[in-house]
Amino acid sequence: MEASFAYKVPGGKLIKIRLNYGSTIENINILGDFFIHPESSIQKLEARLTGLQIDKTEDEFAAIIEEVRRSEGAEMIGVDPKSIAHAIKMAIKNDGEVENH
Amino acid sequence: MTEKWRIIELQEKGAYLNMGIDNAIMDGVKSGTSDPTIRFYTWKPPAVSIGCFQSMRDEVNVETCKKNGIDLVRRLTGGGAVYHDREVTYSIIGSADMFPSGIIESYRQICGYIIYGLSILGINSTFAPINDIVVEGKKISGNAQTRREGVLLQHGTVIYDFEPEKMFGVLNISKEKISDKMIKSAKDRVTSVLEHSNVSMGELHLALLRGFCKGRDYYIGTLSAEEEHAALNYSTEKYSSDSWNFSR
Repeated sequence: MEASFAYKVPGGKLIKIRLNYGSTIENINILGDFFIHPESSIQKLEARLTGLQIDKTEDEFAAIIEEVRRSEGAEMIGVDPKSIAHAIKMAIKNDGEVENH
Repeated sequence: MTEKWRIIELQEKGAYLNMGIDNAIMDGVKSGTSDPTIRFYTWKPPAVSIGCFQSMRDEVNVETCKKNGIDLVRRLTGGGAVYHDREVTYSIIGSADMFPSGIIESYRQICGYIIYGLSILGINSTFAPINDIVVEGKKISGNAQTRREGVLLQHGTVIYDFEPEKMFGVLNISKEKISDKMIKSAKDRVTSVLEHSNVSMGELHLALLRGFCKGRDYYIGTLSAEEEHAALNYSTEKYSSDSWNFSR
């Protein structure tokens, strides 16, 4: 199934999640006008999220994202692990409906 | 330690070369062959640049841009989609240790040069974190930064003349949605130098130059032959390629 969800982080930037999934995430793009230093961390993050079970909780997704952030020594500006996790869960919950918040 | 900065005065270039030049200077600063550099440029033909995490097809009306000869390019930096026309762009490239280590603090410092430049034109602007400069709450400048292998690049634009109708035509908003209300709302959020000061684009460039050069040891320079060659290479191999521009 294909899904996407756009989420404006309060006080931050826009995150757009686009993913394909069955019982697991088959592929995922984390898009938006935020900043992550170093920028290459985004590919590491997308690779780490690929293959994960979609029934993980938002907190579980956030913990995994935080783990990648730390191992990459990445700094996120206008976005954070919690808001990315929220957008992922919303994309899955929406079942392919595109929404903007 | 004071380091001498190279200033490259306003040049009009295409999108791919503009991004190629920034990239080539970054490489030169990293390898120690280029001095830290501040350059000013405009875009001809007009172009849309997108942030490195954005999707070109999501953000940009690609067909309209192609039809109207507007170039499309993905930046090295994050941030949002920008329509480049009737504005002055700058880039500042130096060793990261020449700037505050905090990213927001370094935005604040560099945006301070623009704020000073605008004040010369009688425009009172302020830094609006994360990466904007505003006049009376309306955006006049957007900025984006990357740090790679010890080198900091920040580039940004100062809007000289804001034309929302043109902007909406190229950014990916369906025609049905381009209502008068939207244009009015954009005018409530974005402003331009011309709205506040009746100066030429050349005068804006000079004011920004003074803002960036204040208290700095600098010389007016040009690109080296090596940088020109590398920039051209980046332009043809990377920034004009679909594999880079449409990679997300």
